[in-house]
Amino acid sequence: MIDRVLDATRGKVDGGGADALWRREEQTAVAFESGRLKSAGISEQAGLNLRVLASGRMGVAGTTAAKPDPVELVGRARASAELGEIVDLAFPTGAASELPRIPTFFDRTASASLDDLIRMGRLLVERLSRPDCQVNVSVQREVADTAVGNTAGARGEYRATGIAVTADLTRIAGDDVLMVYDQYVGADMPGDADLETLVRSVETRLTAALKVVTPPDGALPVVFTPAGLAAVVLPLEQALSGKTVLQGSSPLAGKVGETMFDERLSIFDDPLTPGRPASRPIDDECVPSRATGLVERGAVGRFVYDLETAARAKTQSTGNGRRGVFGKPHIGYTNILFRGTDGAHGAHSAVLGGGLIGDIDEGLIVDDLIGVGQGNVISGAFSHPVGLAYRVQRGEVTGRVKDAAVAGNAYELLKRIGGFGSDGRWLGSRFSPSLLLEGVSVAHR
Amino acid sequence: MKDRLAAAVKQSRAGYTEIRVERTWSSTVAFRGRRLETATVSEDQGGFVRVLNEGCGWGIASFTSLDELPAMVARANDLSRAVRLDDPIRLAETAPEVADAILELDGDVRGISLSYKKKLLDRYNSAMLAVSDAIVDTQSSYRDEVSEVWYVNSEGASLYELRPEVVVSGTAIGRRNGNIEKGLESIGLRKGWNSVQNFENRFRVVAQRAVDLLDAPRVRGGAYPVILDNELAGVFIHEAFGHLSEADFVYENPQAREMMTLGRRFGKPALNVGDNGAAQGLRGTLPYDDEGTPTQDTPLIREGILVGRLHSRETAAKLGERPTGNARAISFRHPPIVRMTNTYIAPGKTGVGFNDLISDIKLGVYACGAFGGQTMLENFSFTAGWGYMIRDGKVAELVKDVVLAGNLFQTLDRIDHIAGDFTWNQMGGGCGKGGQFPLPVTEGAPHVRIEAALIGGDV
Repeated sequence: MIDRVLDATRGKVDGGGADALWRREEQTAVAFESGRLKSAGISEQAGLNLRVLASGRMGVAGTTAAKPDPVELVGRARASAELGEIVDLAFPTGAASELPRIPTFFDRTASASLDDLIRMGRLLVERLSRPDCQVNVSVQREVADTAVGNTAGARGEYRATGIAVTADLTRIAGDDVLMVYDQYVGADMPGDADLETLVRSVETRLTAALKVVTPPDGALPVVFTPAGLAAVVLPLEQALSGKTVLQGSSPLAGKVGETMFDERLSIFDDPLTPGRPASRPIDDECVPSRATGLVERGAVGRFVYDLETAARAKTQSTGNGRRGVFGKPHIGYTNILFRGTDGAHGAHSAVLGGGLIGDIDEGLIVDDLIGVGQGNVISGAFSHPVGLAYRVQRGEVTGRVKDAAVAGNAYELLKRIGGFGSDGRWLGSRFSPSLLLEGVSVAHR
Repeated sequence: MKDRLAAAVKQSRAGYTEIRVERTWSSTVAFRGRRLETATVSEDQGGFVRVLNEGCGWGIASFTSLDELPAMVARANDLSRAVRLDDPIRLAETAPEVADAILELDGDVRGISLSYKKKLLDRYNSAMLAVSDAIVDTQSSYRDEVSEVWYVNSEGASLYELRPEVVVSGTAIGRRNGNIEKGLESIGLRKGWNSVQNFENRFRVVAQRAVDLLDAPRVRGGAYPVILDNELAGVFIHEAFGHLSEADFVYENPQAREMMTLGRRFGKPALNVGDNGAAQGLRGTLPYDDEGTPTQDTPLIREGILVGRLHSRETAAKLGERPTGNARAISFRHPPIVRMTNTYIAPGKTGVGFNDLISDIKLGVYACGAFGGQTMLENFSFTAGWGYMIRDGKVAELVKDVVLAGNLFQTLDRIDHIAGDFTWNQMGGGCGKGGQFPLPVTEGAPHVRIEAALIGGDV
């Protein structure tokens, strides 16, 4: 398919070239609602995305048609290019592309039957059921085939699997609504130990949340769990994107090599992490995958680029090109990993706070915030009510707090990290431990 | 197409079968700063099958290859039969509708060349950039679509709908001395090309606000009397209350049902709330939902008392209530779930204005515009675009980082004054739920006063 479409661009792009991505995805999902299996579904989708460089101008076109007409697609991409900007973009050649080896396909995941998925969901429902709670569980498996290619001769193809198991518990007592949620996401099927970890994680956070206590007040030490950390990581992700840097809106622009954060902080983007659904041997623009140091020992490392932003910034793509069926390729992170924090991974995985609360006299553990990503994210400033948070007094969790909001600035808070938890874990495509951050504003009514 | 779908439904061996097929033509233009990001035309198409068998669960299939339709109906049936249920799923009765519903296109976007769309957006984008040197970046987008939807089910419903949509949005980013602020304008309409002309000034205003916010102090966190402007009041009622009124939250959950018992007092007698999918010409408006049920105006709170909720056919049957036409899916890739349409706080007394609401406030916050909102059941958060302090009954200095957090029950009960200056706010973007985003919705409200609400910020 890719070859047919690329062939159709020959003689139509004034020597400029083209690249394309074809992807076919098959999903199977089962959903348990309030403890009952309610639905089973499949989804089969295929689509093709084409980019052309015609007379130096870039244009794109996409289609989900079952049998796309290459000539029509090329025509649409050319019409798009007529309005497009001039980009000095060079498509990677195939010559250098001895692709890194990374297993993305797990036969166990691909061949799991509908009954296997139902059994796994049912096991979780049974383990998590309790009289005063509603349990929802969903299991979703995906098999995706990806092919990328360009007119400079580069080609890449891989097959990938992914499975996501999510469980949420809702407990309503009077007007108090408590929701606890966790997930397993991987390329390979979860083992018994993974499911056990999921159950214990939900149970631990539920048990500690049953008692509601008044929130503390003031500038306090706050432990952000891997889930609660989203509000702190999001500004960094935006600021480290080559696009924001080019645009002049990144507060980290011009700071490469400068120590901006605690020297124990290292963050990588790594598409070659085994067993992760976001891992891949090649990006969606034919650039072979490799790891990128975003923050290294507290210093700003590299910004991430796709082909277009790299060309504009006169640098190399970091292999962070991502594209869907529609629209042009853009920058996307793969797996984000917090590295080099000494804590043994998982040693405190079922302990709230990851072993960081022992010395906290008065503070909070934040596990979920409401409205992350809504505000002026890139400025680093955040202010969110807590979705799920616990009060810490004299080194111990004393209960759940409600009606409280936390605020701070991510860049400031990460300058002095009070501690790294020993509870490092994956959450979606991010691996991190809990972080203890000092002087976070906590407001309550 | 209807005949093709009817034939596939006829061949289905399931107790209940529905098929939805969509073909969407869309074009997109985007600028980042002075640079054109993209200008493209796309065509997306696919189908969705959902079946139900007695004593079994839902079997669902979605697909991009329409040639596979008969095979997908059979697979959905197999999936349904794999899901055994003791307590069967019932669907509330609805009269099977047969209709062609063509919404007004107001300038068919398919007949306008992409270069005109680029020029229009360029004007709005340039209007923002021209406001000040402090505007260092913009993100502007134009998107239009015309979606053809066919819906057929085994009860005899047969619908064809033509649904247009057009959205113009712009974000202006101001930067000075390391401070970064943004201003956001977004216009989303279920109409066409003619309806998005001559908005330069609205884009200028938000860019100027981003510049003004650079010098504004952060609001000091704490509890204040808060006035919400029309836009934010609309977002508030959608986020804080609307989601709880979606019956899929309560229908399988006895405790939730108790919390949301009809007849419960939710607010003072001044408070009236509803959801109207049949309102004329709004972005959340559709003649039929994605189960073929006609849309309607559904009262949710009347004089402070909970009187209704939003239903799909399944939730309505379970609760012994009537379907309200709120089963919606963002595309053929998803099943219909209970969603809002055009959600509103009804206006208070005619003639009651903003000044009547602030005159007796000694220290308060006037929260304006919305960057977004999210609920976690009874807790919600929404981020205002900007705000002003209210001092001694008057609007005072501009403040930034105004985030409202609160508990639904307490906050609704603290709405003590509602102005008569109702407006619908038709924005782009949309609502997200269950992995389905963005769903076109509209919110409407007058100015609303909350006696005391928690504002996050510096402590």
